Amino acid sequence: MAEKSPVKEVAFSESIPISNSNQLKQSPQFSAKLTTPTPPISDIPSTPTSRLPPVDADVIHVPSYSRWFSWDKIDSCESRFLPEFFDGRSSKGPSLYKYYRNSIIKLFRENPSRKITFTEARRNLVGDVGSIRRVFDFLDHWGLINYSASSALSKPSKNTASNNKSSDSPSLESPSTAAPTPKQSSTSRRFCGECKSLCTIACFVCDKYDSTLCARCYVRGNFRVGLSNADFRRVEISDEAKADWSEKETLLLLEAIMHYGDDWKKVAQHVGGRTEKECVAHFVKLPFGEEYLGHPLSDDAESGFDPNKSMRLTPLADASNPIMAQSAFLSALAGVEIAEAAAQAAVNILSKIDDTTASRGGNGSLERNAKQESEISSNGDANQNALERAYADAKSQLDKEEQDIERAITEITEVQMKEIQDKILRFEEMDLLMEKERQQLESMKHLLFIDQLNLSFRKNSN
Amino acid sequence: MKSPASASWKAPLKFRMPAAENLVPIRLDIEVDGQRYKDAFTWNPYDPDSEVVMFAKRTVKDLKLAPGFLPQIVQFIQLATFRSYAGQDMYVGDKIVPIKLDLRVDHTVIRDQFLWDLNNFDSDPEEFARTLCKDVGIEDPEVGPAIALAIREQLYEIAIQNVTSARENRINKKGRRAAEHFPISKPSGAALDLMKLFRSSVVRKRKEWDYYKPVLDLLSNEDVDALEAKEERSG
Repeated sequence: MAEKSPVKEVAFSESIPISNSNQLKQSPQFSAKLTTPTPPISDIPSTPTSRLPPVDADVIHVPSYSRWFSWDKIDSCESRFLPEFFDGRSSKGPSLYKYYRNSIIKLFRENPSRKITFTEARRNLVGDVGSIRRVFDFLDHWGLINYSASSALSKPSKNTASNNKSSDSPSLESPSTAAPTPKQSSTSRRFCGECKSLCTIACFVCDKYDSTLCARCYVRGNFRVGLSNADFRRVEISDEAKADWSEKETLLLLEAIMHYGDDWKKVAQHVGGRTEKECVAHFVKLPFGEEYLGHPLSDDAESGFDPNKSMRLTPLADASNPIMAQSAFLSALAGVEIAEAAAQAAVNILSKIDDTTASRGGNGSLERNAKQESEISSNGDANQNALERAYADAKSQLDKEEQDIERAITEITEVQMKEIQDKILRFEEMDLLMEKERQQLESMKHLLFIDQLNLSFRKNSN
Repeated sequence: MKSPASASWKAPLKFRMPAAENLVPIRLDIEVDGQRYKDAFTWNPYDPDSEVVMFAKRTVKDLKLAPGFLPQIVQFIQLATFRSYAGQDMYVGDKIVPIKLDLRVDHTVIRDQFLWDLNNFDSDPEEFARTLCKDVGIEDPEVGPAIALAIREQLYEIAIQNVTSARENRINKKGRRAAEHFPISKPSGAALDLMKLFRSSVVRKRKEWDYYKPVLDLLSNEDVDALEAKEERSG
């Protein structure tokens, strides 16, 4: 077939797909050009049939948020958006997904200046059209196909922090498809209108009918009949790293911590729109701006200290662990290095004791103390470490308690069973005895009867 | 010793395509306002209705068809999935059926015949089509789906036959109240018995070799035009 040779050409250019996407580094310069209304088709230098110098192969523009793409690997976002191929239920496997994806992309790259339609793609692929459509839509949205720099709309594309192309580079999807936007519209929680699940990564909002869909429903096309892809716009609900905590939120957070201390659930509620994890993480990351909280934590006599120290101690002191609070206080008194040295010595000795006796039980508390000591010793370090260790500590304690409970229960049941067995044995013995007695009775009855007979005989004969 | 019921009776299963995925083959041939739209593809009957509408819209948009096609396409697909006998009983014995391929897709003509095991629900027509195209070296990418579709259609036909025969058997049983074992559903003329087939040896006889080989033809443009004209006239 005459089409064989262009396929070869494209294959060669595809052998440098990574270099293609690496050329994105140069594209900031391109992006300056891209603000002009003429599409840089001139930047895509060739049609498939012309001879190319090997390195300067087709420049295929791929948006920066799709730089994860590679021919051989499957990225996590692919398995997120197209779970049907990865959940192992049906016979559709990741290799099938790769086959679809690679074929569609190859097909597009044979003629990059032209958009391919879904019908063309599915005509060439073996398989059920629903799945092919989903893969096609996915690739379309992520700009891996049909991403020609045609429009001059400079909607900012979703960027990683390293790529400062925010306002310059257009997102460059055709106006008919939704363009990803970097900024979140709001920090409120979003629930999908169709499947009623919490939207985590991204959601799609339809302005016409004012409905929200989670990414999964959107990709599956689970919306009302009157709508189509074009009516939805993508809204990122990115994770905390990309979100900026507004002043208000930070204030709310600190307020909440003041009131509720360690109860992160309530804190999260108070802040509103942030999960507990986010609150904790953000709080921990706060610089010594904690000092403007100026918080005089009450009982455990932190009074005379700088707000810095007191804030740093507060999380530990608040742990409903008087020992911890005491140690915190003492170490603050003594100074950091001394506390460290003391704690280390204590830890060493304690660990020796631990080794010699069996683990758990009474040693649990010793270990806990040791852990607390070591935690105090790192008081000079970031709060984060201490919190993490406390958290891990609590977890291990919980686990131990659970195990204890389980063991206790099994022992109880064993004892009960033994009791029952003993009872059964005893009853059996009694049974035997009864049998013996009955037999004796029987024989006695017989004897009686014989005696009676004898007597009556005697009487009669007399 | 030849038992009369050479195939063991198995309990009837719910109807499904005897293939790894329960996909339905659909052939469309719609004419609206003088525009003719012919297409054939496999469809997943478990996709929701919104999927049907989406697909129809995409197709109409991509092929630039008149909007009157939209409801027709939707109806066709819905009908095909509804009629897929889902939920009815199907009786499958030890059947190995020959599947014949005889298609022309654009410039490529492929003819082939092979045996297919109906009991094996792991078999995958799509996989088979992909491998066949790769092995025989077919370059036209549209041939693969056509092959898979043809296989699925034939399997579908056979499966339907089994459904109807299961129903017949049930009726018979009620009528006579006798039969100890079911008479094997009268196999379609093409189905073979395992025993008969493999009685002599598992190796195929030489004279049958030619039948079970794939035959690939590449036509020239004139041939294609001639054939198409012939089909138009007859179809």
